[in-house]
Amino acid sequence: MAKIGIICSRVRVEEKLLIAALEERNADYERVDPRDLHIDLAGDQLSEYDAAIVRCLSHTRAYYVTRWLASKDVPAISPHETVHVCGDKLLTSAALQEAGVPNPRTKLALTPEAALEAIEEMGYPVVLKPLFGSWGRLLARVNDRDAAEAILEHKQTLGGYQHSVVYIQEYVEKPQRDIRSFVVGDETICAIYRTSPHWITNTARGGVATNCPVTPEIAELSCAAAKCVGGGFVAIDLFEAPDGRLLVNEVNHTPEFRNSIDTTGVDIPAKVVEYALEVAAMKSGR
Amino acid sequence: MTLSGKIGVLCSRVRVEEKLILQKLRERKVAFDKIDVRQIVFDLHATDWSQYSAVLIRCLSHTKALYAAKALEMQGVKTVNAHAVIEVCGDKILTTLALQERGIPTPPTQIAFSKNGGLTAVDEIGYPAVLKPPVGSWGRLIAKVNDREAAEAVIEHKEMLEEKRGTPLYIQTYVDKPGRDIRSLVVGDETVYAVYRHAEHWITNTARGGRTTSLAVSPEIDRLSRAAAEAMGGGILAVDLMEDAAGRLLVNEVNNTPEFHGAMESTDVDIAAKMVDYVLRVSECRLNPLIR
Repeated sequence: MAKIGIICSRVRVEEKLLIAALEERNADYERVDPRDLHIDLAGDQLSEYDAAIVRCLSHTRAYYVTRWLASKDVPAISPHETVHVCGDKLLTSAALQEAGVPNPRTKLALTPEAALEAIEEMGYPVVLKPLFGSWGRLLARVNDRDAAEAILEHKQTLGGYQHSVVYIQEYVEKPQRDIRSFVVGDETICAIYRTSPHWITNTARGGVATNCPVTPEIAELSCAAAKCVGGGFVAIDLFEAPDGRLLVNEVNHTPEFRNSIDTTGVDIPAKVVEYALEVAAMKSGR
Repeated sequence: MTLSGKIGVLCSRVRVEEKLILQKLRERKVAFDKIDVRQIVFDLHATDWSQYSAVLIRCLSHTKALYAAKALEMQGVKTVNAHAVIEVCGDKILTTLALQERGIPTPPTQIAFSKNGGLTAVDEIGYPAVLKPPVGSWGRLIAKVNDREAAEAVIEHKEMLEEKRGTPLYIQTYVDKPGRDIRSLVVGDETVYAVYRHAEHWITNTARGGRTTSLAVSPEIDRLSRAAAEAMGGGILAVDLMEDAAGRLLVNEVNNTPEFHGAMESTDVDIAAKMVDYVLRVSECRLNPLIR
């Protein structure tokens, strides 16, 4: 029987639901807390698993854990490539752009001076985003030059690895909501609208979730976005642009889904676990 | 020489190395631009950079080099080194893993994701051990710990400093090297030189005051250096090698923006010429087999 590892430090609602789904299927699984691990890079730790569901809260931790699993030929959900690309907004933009998936106009500058020039050229409002981070943290909507100067100075003072690179995106005037779709393997399983009076619509920040019917366009675009970042279990953030086009904004490699199960009527953890068992069966059957 | 486009040299501060490289491009009568990384903007949906057939990346900042390479590659411009190469070289965990996966000897290394995991790893590796930040250069924040108390204190300080939450601890066996290590330079598929770097201090970086003496490229240095460069993805790469107590050579790190003014005292090789000629070869071929 295929052996599944579920790798997480804290067990939140999502991880509890995934574990319950594993139990329901009598799956042979183990929970691994990465804080208990010390990995000898010449060794073969974690190689006993046929697949691993990686649910680390920290992107950095997920990145190294999945890279290690790849080294040991253990398929991860989501795989290392996906964690790598989705964790970095520039790599995400590059993957989408190279795959021809529509995404908001984006510029990159490497100093505050060059960034200011790029912002002025793009025109206000723009959105400045840290290259890494989630839950909408440090996203800045910049409506004028005064705001741009202030934010850039703060970024510079924050210093460190990622604030020396300025990622600038056109602000998409969306209808007080965006769409989050969930993709498992090559299927778009469901989607929600996230409605909020605030331009950041994350449900973790007060956005309200309602069901969004998966149209053929949403299904196709979501699958294309998931595929180009590396696949697995991902959530796609889509914007409805004023010209009617759907734009892919971001892809999340370890989605939270507690607010989307009842809303959509889709048993998301069951879908994820079934996919993990399929992936594991392919590996153990080899 | 037929060139489809210009050569770009992306840099911030122009050091001795960059001066020599620019001088060599002039001598070769190649069309080139020196591009100041601090002044540029990449429009990810445009093709503003198509006039360049290859860009040599010589920025001091690893982050700027990394993202500039990606933005250029998106626009179809070949970079030396490639984005994926810069990424692996800039991260000690990725470097060691890539070396291990190809059977290239490295010092025994463990990673851990917590203070307890880290202490268990240090105990297992044995003292003295070396703790390194996975991302960083010039020997900064590299700590040699000789006992458990030092390990506890250093790990606690690292936890407070941690810039990116979840960054693992990287713990390596301390290699008792004979007051020196070896640095070789690989350009494409050639090991162009090797030098000893001597220092009283166990950190032998020339940036930290180490001096160099000449060393012939032995078949073993050549084989290991080229294998290490290939494991990173190939390009222009400096390889740090250490001799362990048994006389075995171990690959320690690989640097994607080699400084070479220190080595120039100890080798007659025209290093800038080797680099420039390599960039020209890359710019001419459609696909460079060494660049993935």
